[in-house]
Amino acid sequence: MLNEKPTLKSTGKALLYLLPMLIITITFNIYPILKSFIMSFYTKYDFFRDIVSQYGFDNFKFLFSDPDFHIAVKNTLIFVIGVVPLTVIISLAIALLLNRITWLSGLFRTVYFLPFVTSTVAIAQVWHWIYNGDYGLLNYFLSFFGVNAISWLESPHYAMLALIIMSVWKNLGFNIVLFLVGLNNINERYYQAAKIDGANTWHQFTNVTVPLLSPITFLVSVNGVIGSFKVFDEIFALFNGTPGPSKSALTIVYYLYQKFYTEWKYGIAAASGVVLFFMILLVTVFQLWYSKRHVHY
Amino acid sequence: MEVTFKDVSLSYDGSREILHRLNFTIPEGTLVSILGPSGCGKSTTLMMISGLLAPTSGHIFFGDEDVTKQDALQRKVGMVFQNYALYPHLKVLDNIMFPLKMAKVPKAERREKAIKLAKLVHVDDQLDKKPGSLSGGQQQRVAIARALAKEPSLLLLDEPLSNLDARLRIEMRQEIRRIQQETGVTTIFVTHDQDEALHISDHIMVLNSGKIQQFSSAETLYDNPSNLFIAQFIGEPVINTIDIEDFDDELTDHVDAEILKRAKKVGIRPEALQDHDTGADTLATITTKVKTFEKFGREKNALLDFHGKRLLTTEIEAELAEGQELPLYLQKSGFYLFDQEGTRIFGGDQDVE
Ligand SMILES: Nc1ncnc2c1ncn2[C@@H]1O[C@H](COP(=O)(O)OP(=O)(O)OP(=O)(O)O)[C@@H](O)[C@H]1O
Ligand SMILES: [Mg+2]
Repeated sequence: MLNEKPTLKSTGKALLYLLPMLIITITFNIYPILKSFIMSFYTKYDFFRDIVSQYGFDNFKFLFSDPDFHIAVKNTLIFVIGVVPLTVIISLAIALLLNRITWLSGLFRTVYFLPFVTSTVAIAQVWHWIYNGDYGLLNYFLSFFGVNAISWLESPHYAMLALIIMSVWKNLGFNIVLFLVGLNNINERYYQAAKIDGANTWHQFTNVTVPLLSPITFLVSVNGVIGSFKVFDEIFALFNGTPGPSKSALTIVYYLYQKFYTEWKYGIAAASGVVLFFMILLVTVFQLWYSKRHVHY
Repeated sequence: MEVTFKDVSLSYDGSREILHRLNFTIPEGTLVSILGPSGCGKSTTLMMISGLLAPTSGHIFFGDEDVTKQDALQRKVGMVFQNYALYPHLKVLDNIMFPLKMAKVPKAERREKAIKLAKLVHVDDQLDKKPGSLSGGQQQRVAIARALAKEPSLLLLDEPLSNLDARLRIEMRQEIRRIQQETGVTTIFVTHDQDEALHISDHIMVLNSGKIQQFSSAETLYDNPSNLFIAQFIGEPVINTIDIEDFDDELTDHVDAEILKRAKKVGIRPEALQDHDTGADTLATITTKVKTFEKFGREKNALLDFHGKRLLTTEIEAELAEGQELPLYLQKSGFYLFDQEGTRIFGGDQDVE
């Protein structure tokens, strides 16, 4: 029934359906999240005997005064702001073009989708060569425009840019596919009506495509923001297990990784995770609020 | 604006032709209905006039100008789509204002005009709703308002009233007629409802299986159907159709022998079967047997048996008993003969196309 009211019985039934997934989620998602929240307040902790002798805010205090953490937050924000808009715009543009052509469209779709199914490490190896200061394709290409050779991966000025370019490229495949699905779902009749109403190609794009595609754009950008905040493996692979020259690609998750695995400061690692969690939450809530007003379902 | 089709054909997939060499002229300032059964190509014809669809061959003229190569943007017609095609993300008011926005009309003026149009089609209490939460009929009316908003010189309506109830339908069709006569906008109105077409239009184009069957006034369609399809399609109740072989020699003295030889089908309108002699208007007499006789108020219908075939008449004056013998007088008007191809070869006014 469309207008059925929830009853005790129907709610119980729903819970039963959800139970298998709930158990998995609670064990592997909810519990670790709670645990790391609690862990971020451990100030004296004996790892070998799992004894906590003191709780407090010391870990957070440390983070706020640690210059490395400041760098990590700054780099993460630069990365998110660099990657997400570029990903959305470029994948939308490519999807629009792919949607137009019929010639070899299947092949092109596959080609663009490949980065998504390829391992990050392999991708990073390829880009490692592209970025090579002496023999790299990118510098070779830029030399046609009279640009002097840039040491992409060795210079602190260019390392973040190199990381962003590679990440955008890697994100394209999946997002193009999402946009293609969205474009296919827009009924041709709205374009016909718009033409009759005097809308040229640009106005059709802004008045029909953009609003009717907004649910997908929203999905792509929320997904992109969350994914970009958590960036780690791209850095690890591209800079051979370092956070870039002079920490120029040190992000929050990389910081967390260092604290946890190399310095064994579990409390501080957990605290940085909590900070990241709230940053993502804040941005996502903002996106949700924005979508209420601008996304048309 | 006058619209002319010259040998226009269309095929969607390049193999199956949907419309075959259409030739017609819609005079400026008239309201023309395109009438025909489902799937005969009415919407397709409209799409070609609007410029959304290019003909496979042939030429389309607006006035003297050949617009075959122009797209919908350049042709600037107003159109109500069969499926309304309202923008789902825009409120009713914004939907109506959209063509004005594209025409860069100032905002205040846009609003004022849109509200006026909304009042005209009775949706002024729905302005803040999205199309998704309107009834089919309301959506249809919003679509009409949107098409009228830009004051086109050519208005195309694809079954714009199909979702309205009987009363609103009559009201809206009078409204469309009024707007058309007031503004003088050339209007092409697609419908499969003959009653609607007969009431609203100056001329009716009847389309069947991708060909124009007849293009004339409503009266001519009824009195001088050019073929069997038109005769059967127009008129309520439907014309009686029987084979020429069903007659013995009732027609021999009244119809030219040459014509009788070519004739294949006989069409007799129900009102052309009178139960009394009308003198000069009578063409021939036949003898029938009453099968059923019904009275609804002033209306008297009789279903008759004629050489084993059924005939319906609406023109009985006397009271009849079932099973009784009844001589009937075939009237000259409303009696037609059609040849093998279905072309009318006798009856009506042979000179009228
Ligand atoms: N986009 C299309 N691609 C291929 N064939 C089509 C397309 N649109 C319509 N047709 C075919 O063209 C023929 C005419 O269709 P059209 O929509 O013009 O009919 P119509 O007269 O408007 O019918 P209705 O009264 O049901 O709306 C039909 O046989 C239909 O199957
Ligand atoms: Mg149609």
